[in-house]
Amino acid sequence: MQEIHDIDETTTANDGDELDPREAARLLAQTEREAKRQFNLSPPWITAVMGAVILVGYVALWLSTRGQHPYSGPSAGAVVLVYVGVAISIAVAAKVYQRATVGVRGPSVRQAQLEGVAILISYLGSPVIQGAMKHYRASHAIVYGVIPAAAPLIIVGTTVLGIAASKADWPQFGAALTVVIGGVVALFVGPSGAWLAAGIGLFIAVAGYAAATGKRLGHS
Amino acid sequence: MKQASTGTDSLDPVIHAPARLRIVATLAALPDGDTLSFTRLQDILDLTPGNLITHLRKLEDAGYLTSETIGNGRASRTSIALTHQGRVALDAYTGALRALLGGL
Repeated sequence: MQEIHDIDETTTANDGDELDPREAARLLAQTEREAKRQFNLSPPWITAVMGAVILVGYVALWLSTRGQHPYSGPSAGAVVLVYVGVAISIAVAAKVYQRATVGVRGPSVRQAQLEGVAILISYLGSPVIQGAMKHYRASHAIVYGVIPAAAPLIIVGTTVLGIAASKADWPQFGAALTVVIGGVVALFVGPSGAWLAAGIGLFIAVAGYAAATGKRLGHS
Repeated sequence: MKQASTGTDSLDPVIHAPARLRIVATLAALPDGDTLSFTRLQDILDLTPGNLITHLRKLEDAGYLTSETIGNGRASRTSIALTHQGRVALDAYTGALRALLGGL
């Protein structure tokens, strides 16, 4: 460790000869728990907050479109509310990611960045399909209701499903599968109901993931 | 020797010290192949630089971790990673600890 020889070494290291096995076991469990908390990219509390934000946003979209005949799309207020919620969620997630990965380098960090890019690119599939639908003069209910509610869930959910399967991350796999199912249900419940189905699907997925990761961290 | 009286002979003496146990357990929480900066490790463990260096050197001498420094002077960055041997040693230590506690 040539490179750190120049730092003050006057402090003597306690070898801990008196460390009792029970104390060692307690210290080991406590350190593992703390380390997992330090490096966790999706703490349960932030996942739970995101679930609440998603539910509020999608319920607002559903309420603003409920009973529309013919369907004209969500109100500007509901759309703004969703965009603000998404922006706050992204900012908080970015901050948590930055704090968790500071000082960490290696394959897992690069993989997480690539996964982020893959998810972002897959999300772009939704507006592309929406644009194509508009191009072929599909109804307002399809272009501004069913597709924007269901397509992101199916496309992004499938992408995350693949990522989770490749890592054998079963809580993430279950959450992604729930998102895909929510998207599929949203396709068949009408333009207004699609928002509610999507919101419920996302909320169940996110809340379930928060509970599973919280349990995993608590048991480690 | 108190160690003998508490039956800790089966525990790897390189790991069986509070600071080194915490260092190894913290590095083991990272996925295989990832490195952690010296400063982040120091922040997490709340150890003085001198104390941390002494323990890191003992672990490195045992082959349980590797360190690499990039750059010079203030701009240098030291990265530390647990080796495969270090992970195996921690697993063996955990197993020995379980056996010991099960027998107590």
